[in-house]
Amino acid sequence: MIFEFIVKRFGFLKRIPLLPQLFDALLRVQALIAKPELLSWLDSLEKELQSWPGVSISMHKYGGSQFNYQGREIAHLHSNGLLDVRYSLKIKQELLTEGRISEHHVLPHTGWVSFQLRSEEDLKYALRLIEISCSMKIGHCSSSL
Amino acid sequence: MNTNTENFTLIKGFFLSNLFGFSLIGISKLLLLHPGVFVYTEFVVIPLLMGVISAWCWKDLDLKGKQLTTLSCLNGIIAIVLSAFILDEGVICLIIVSPLIFAFIVTGVFTGKAMFRKNNKNLNISIFSLLLLLFVADSLATHHHENMVSDVMLINAPAKEVWKHVVAFEKIEEKNKFWLFRMGMPSPVQATVDGYYQGAGRKCIFSNGYIFDEKITVYKPGQDLTFEIVSQPQDPEIMGHIDILRGQFLLKDNGDGTTTLTGNSWYRLYVFPLWYYDTWAESITRNVHLRVMDHIKVLSEKR
Repeated sequence: MIFEFIVKRFGFLKRIPLLPQLFDALLRVQALIAKPELLSWLDSLEKELQSWPGVSISMHKYGGSQFNYQGREIAHLHSNGLLDVRYSLKIKQELLTEGRISEHHVLPHTGWVSFQLRSEEDLKYALRLIEISCSMKIGHCSSSL
Repeated sequence: MNTNTENFTLIKGFFLSNLFGFSLIGISKLLLLHPGVFVYTEFVVIPLLMGVISAWCWKDLDLKGKQLTTLSCLNGIIAIVLSAFILDEGVICLIIVSPLIFAFIVTGVFTGKAMFRKNNKNLNISIFSLLLLLFVADSLATHHHENMVSDVMLINAPAKEVWKHVVAFEKIEEKNKFWLFRMGMPSPVQATVDGYYQGAGRKCIFSNGYIFDEKITVYKPGQDLTFEIVSQPQDPEIMGHIDILRGQFLLKDNGDGTTTLTGNSWYRLYVFPLWYYDTWAESITRNVHLRVMDHIKVLSEKR
């Protein structure tokens, strides 16, 4: 709720260097205090994705971890467990019917979608979402989690 | 890497980052670049660079995000404890500064992790140098900030009655509501005066015995009491970082048996960044006002 409020009201500040990273660091500290298992899930997700061929991890320009496939961004993960994944509009509509993802929290009219990690079981679905995004790029990255 | 080497590397990350941070602060104090002032880069760039240094020390340990966050917070605690001893900062001050330290150390560690993952030495040195340059530029810049906080309260008593309790007031016995006062930050408890005239001395006594010596500069009964702060305690708890310059109570008789009481305070701040510390200063000053004004209201309405 605080995340949504800040992103909606103060999102325009995201272009100030380091401010999004600072915000993400605060989300990390909050998670460490309130829900430390969330940080373990984020680590599991990153570890799994690192083992996928063609996938690399970098720092997202608006805070969090960015997942790239063949050098291009396919998803990013905020430190509150919010995963944003990019699709074509057609695939996005199909995935929305599954009822587990929502429109992107900032860009609802694009191919981006958001998925909130709430439990360890959600990791499998998160990986599936990223795998689908990879396959759109004619890739063959795969999940083993 | 065996456990001993791992532990040594972790300690090296804590040690080198803190050594760097405190050395930089020490050098700027020795050179008297900004005497008595803590500039914004000391709370932003130094913790950030401390995080980057830790990340560099720990880069071969293959630490997970959760471990890095925990270690960064631990490093923040070490820095805060060292500040208490080396910089002689008080507990309340450290509570106020801690969110900045934690947030920027964690940001620095994860920025460092991303920097060293790419292993672009030229880029890394450029970023590090740029941040250091920012520190030097900020240290050499002029830092002067004064602000005024104003609060208004309606009192169900005529101005004549309110005035009796504005110039001097008996001891405040009511429990503190503001969380920082409850944690031990000094709050106003009493005001005494040498006389009821312009130029008279006034004392504002705080809960821990601190006394602010004041001189009444405007004395208009039932309307305006303005006083300059002549001397104030210099203490690690906040007081060394903010100077209260002037205080004022304005009374407006509403003609219906009520009075509008306005409390104004002017202060000078010695800690930056303003977007952070001025928010705290305003909140603390406001709560000092409200503590006194609530008391004046109770005394005035008791008649």
